[in-house]
Amino acid sequence: MSETRSVETSGADIETAIELGLKQLSVSRESVIVEILEEPSRGLLGLGARQAHVRLTTAAPPRPAPPTSTIQADVEPPVRAMVEDVDADEDDDLLPDGVTPVGEADMDEDARVGVATLQELLAKMQIDAEIMVYRAQVEDNEAPPWVLQIHGRDLGMLIGRRGETLSALQYITRLIASRELQRRANIVLDVEGYKSRREQMLHRLAERMAEQAVQMGRTVALEPMSPYERRIVHLTLRDHPDVITQSIGEGNHRKVTIIPHRR
Amino acid sequence: MKELVEYIAKSLVDDPSQVMVTEISRGSTTTLELEVAQEDMGRVIGKSGRVANAMRVLVRVVAAKHGRRVNLDII
Repeated sequence: MSETRSVETSGADIETAIELGLKQLSVSRESVIVEILEEPSRGLLGLGARQAHVRLTTAAPPRPAPPTSTIQADVEPPVRAMVEDVDADEDDDLLPDGVTPVGEADMDEDARVGVATLQELLAKMQIDAEIMVYRAQVEDNEAPPWVLQIHGRDLGMLIGRRGETLSALQYITRLIASRELQRRANIVLDVEGYKSRREQMLHRLAERMAEQAVQMGRTVALEPMSPYERRIVHLTLRDHPDVITQSIGEGNHRKVTIIPHRR
Repeated sequence: MKELVEYIAKSLVDDPSQVMVTEISRGSTTTLELEVAQEDMGRVIGKSGRVANAMRVLVRVVAAKHGRRVNLDII
């Protein structure tokens, strides 16, 4: 049995944090698995800047190991850019496009029932906010969902840590609306454009981590994410020539790993 | 908080007349006890507790506004 050691470090950017961790473990870069715990940020929603946090775990005994000893060695070769099954009632993949809001006359029943349900929920939660309705702009989708965009002041608590609260609110809103409609309500929720910003961030993160995985010749694991967020990462790297992606772990701990192609 | 749980539960069950929410405050913690008809238990709990957990997340937002902690029990 090889002993694994692990250390968590921070730095202004991911590189700095990794370097620091490697020094602390006194190992070479090839012998660790890098997990990005937190991306550095200049501050979102006025919450101030955050440092990059990474966790380095030795995959082998703490000596410079050949780059072939990845933790992925034993698993089946993953299907290239595997796109996961997402529960039908999971967070959806469609985002607001920021186009003009739709007036009530142009809404169908899904939108109207969705808005009424959400209004009721927000009122009971004592939250003062305005709901704007957009039609998501997506290609090759015959029925783009309605996006119920929530606007107001201090709505950070409606998003929650990693979007947890927004996700719960969307789940309950859809559940109630679907029950009333007696079919699946074709709606998604967002707060102040959070999901579109997060999507952009995930695109950039995926590209950058793929580059690192290739450079280091090692598997890179991202932080645990929701099915919707993992899907964005998988799709971003679907056509990447040098990496494949695969999700590992269960439930809330499920995360994407980016694996450089063996050539 | 009570109204929020009541609204969600009544919207999801087959028998809204049997939905009852009791609010018990002790110190800075509020406990909400949600009772529904036996046949409706599954609807307010959900697959692997998903509905119950989503309700907990939402009541926690309301509780936090008042600087309180909250538990939601389904009994």
